Amino acid sequence: MRRLLYLAVVIMIIGLLPALGAAEETYKFDLSEIEKKPYHVGGYLEFKSVLYGLDHDAAFYKLRFYNNPQGQTIPEANGRVQLEGSYEKELYRIYVKTNTDFKYSSPDGGSEPSIFYEAYGSLKPSPSLKIDAGKKTMKWGKGYAWNPAAFVDRPKDPDDPELALEGFIVATTDYIKSFDGPLKTFSFTPVLLPVYDHINDAFGNSNKINFAGRFYFLLYDTDIDLMFMSGGSRPDRYGMDFSRNINTSLEIHGEYAYVRNARKTLLDASGNMSAVEADAQNYLAGIRHLTAFDLTTIVEYYHNGAGFSSDELENYFAFVNRAYNLYQSTGNAAALSNAKSLADGAYGRFSAGRDYLYVRFSQKEPFDILYFTPALTWIMNLDDRSYSLTPELLYTGFTNWELRFRTAFIAGGRSTEFGEKQNDYRMELRIGYYF
Amino acid sequence: MLKIIVVVLSLLVALPVYALDGTALLKKIDRNLNPESFESYRKLVNIEPDGKKKEYTLFTVKKGMDKLASLFLAPASEKGRSTLRLGDNMWFYIPNVGKPIRITSLQSVVGGVFNNSDILQLDYAAEYNVEKVEEKEGEYLLYLKAKTKTVAYDRLKIRADKGKLLPTKVECLTEANMLIKTLYFKDHKDFGGGIVRPAVIETDSPLYKGYKSVLIYAKVKQRTFKDEVFTLTFMPNLESLR
Repeated sequence: MRRLLYLAVVIMIIGLLPALGAAEETYKFDLSEIEKKPYHVGGYLEFKSVLYGLDHDAAFYKLRFYNNPQGQTIPEANGRVQLEGSYEKELYRIYVKTNTDFKYSSPDGGSEPSIFYEAYGSLKPSPSLKIDAGKKTMKWGKGYAWNPAAFVDRPKDPDDPELALEGFIVATTDYIKSFDGPLKTFSFTPVLLPVYDHINDAFGNSNKINFAGRFYFLLYDTDIDLMFMSGGSRPDRYGMDFSRNINTSLEIHGEYAYVRNARKTLLDASGNMSAVEADAQNYLAGIRHLTAFDLTTIVEYYHNGAGFSSDELENYFAFVNRAYNLYQSTGNAAALSNAKSLADGAYGRFSAGRDYLYVRFSQKEPFDILYFTPALTWIMNLDDRSYSLTPELLYTGFTNWELRFRTAFIAGGRSTEFGEKQNDYRMELRIGYYF
Repeated sequence: MLKIIVVVLSLLVALPVYALDGTALLKKIDRNLNPESFESYRKLVNIEPDGKKKEYTLFTVKKGMDKLASLFLAPASEKGRSTLRLGDNMWFYIPNVGKPIRITSLQSVVGGVFNNSDILQLDYAAEYNVEKVEEKEGEYLLYLKAKTKTVAYDRLKIRADKGKLLPTKVECLTEANMLIKTLYFKDHKDFGGGIVRPAVIETDSPLYKGYKSVLIYAKVKQRTFKDEVFTLTFMPNLESLR
């Protein structure tokens, strides 16, 4: 496993050398570069080295390492191989994208799960109509860090929102119509999403066929989407989003979702579990702004109506601590096992709380250094004031290469969302190569 | 007296009609640069002061005065990305991120001196009014003012060849006439189908001293498209137009 990772790094470094020496080549436009082929094969290779700085008092550290205590830090080596290919003939096209993650760390050993992120066939009888069937990501919503109205997608990681995501098996159609006048575009995207054993079984309740849809309007220079989902695998939901440019440097956007009978499992102060069902409203409001000196600012406020309040999170962390103390004194890990299963559900997911603020500043090419973008990202749980702060350096100056270094500082008091995360900080170097 | 009248009338007839109608002149320059609806391939080269280059290849389609879409064909890191412009609205589609995100005209999806409005350039007449036209040394000098505040540059100063009615140099200015960048139109080429236009546009900027960006055109040809091609929903499918 480690040999594979080292080999990947060596290949990347060898590949980098010609790019460094290519400075003197003159530009030309070779028409063979633009010749269209019916097939396409490409991909992405990544090596990521991570150092986790552990918080030994945190609930999620105790949950994971209660029987395998660690030192102050854990180094981890990661690799990723994404392959994609397509074949197109007349009205038909097939597209496949695979993902293999390699991971090695001292506590967990190695793993290399491989899955199809997407694999679908398309039929496009006209520019107004397209039919897709297979595994596909739909990616609804306008938010950058969160998408409460993305009813048929997996949730994004707000810490890295531009990562590729795995799709679901769907049958879907795009119907598009353009107009003159205030309404410039209308489109309708119905989606069928079946859930059975081995088909989308992570989506929700099995033996159901879910129906979702999105209506899109470009009306008075504003993008507006209306969406819905019903079928029984997840609670029925309705939503909308919008996005609009206010001027040459300011964009505003928002999302809203109304979820009927949203269910969650709650722990009370005594550690008793109960299932709660109530309608929930999730919404997001955000801006993207560019200054004259190329500083891009993204600010988003996210309300997760189905999330946990700070008191509810506090009850959970108290339960973990009691379970850990019980294990320390008796060796009985049953309660910790219960707490872990709750963490694998809602308590341990990204953005488990109710109200969040996301702020990202990225400065394009400071000091005239082309393709260099430093950034600073701040994600705060507004209810308990805990947060993560992530400075980042990104360089894309070598064709097809991407170098990113970032450090995340994770801070908060005891019994707060970020304060109880496994790590106090995380440093990572990511080297990516597209081919 | 009759002689004077004949001389004056002769002079009036000899003056180009466009000298009095800046808008018609600008529209003619637009049409000479591109057919109203067309497809083209473009290579964008960013050149750093030390000579280091980064290249992008784009397939571009345009319809009417205000509909334009571009698909990145190379390098591999950008392949499949696309941009769409409908009037003042601009979007950027990244296959990984999936949904098209709104971008603004002053941002740049490629870095370097070109910003989004340069790469997604509409007809000049769609975005600017002609304030004044001057004639000097075989050239027209057109002074343009943006029609709205959403246009990337408040003012443009276009130097156009009087015979070919094609731009040779465009200066992009702020409201206070501060120079943001200069575009140089070079290397006139016959693309066939009656399209003869500069094949190279170079740009530099006092804001990026020593840096230069170049756009090289190939296979410019007239083509019509359905309006539905210029929609967010179609952005992931632009490759099917090639």
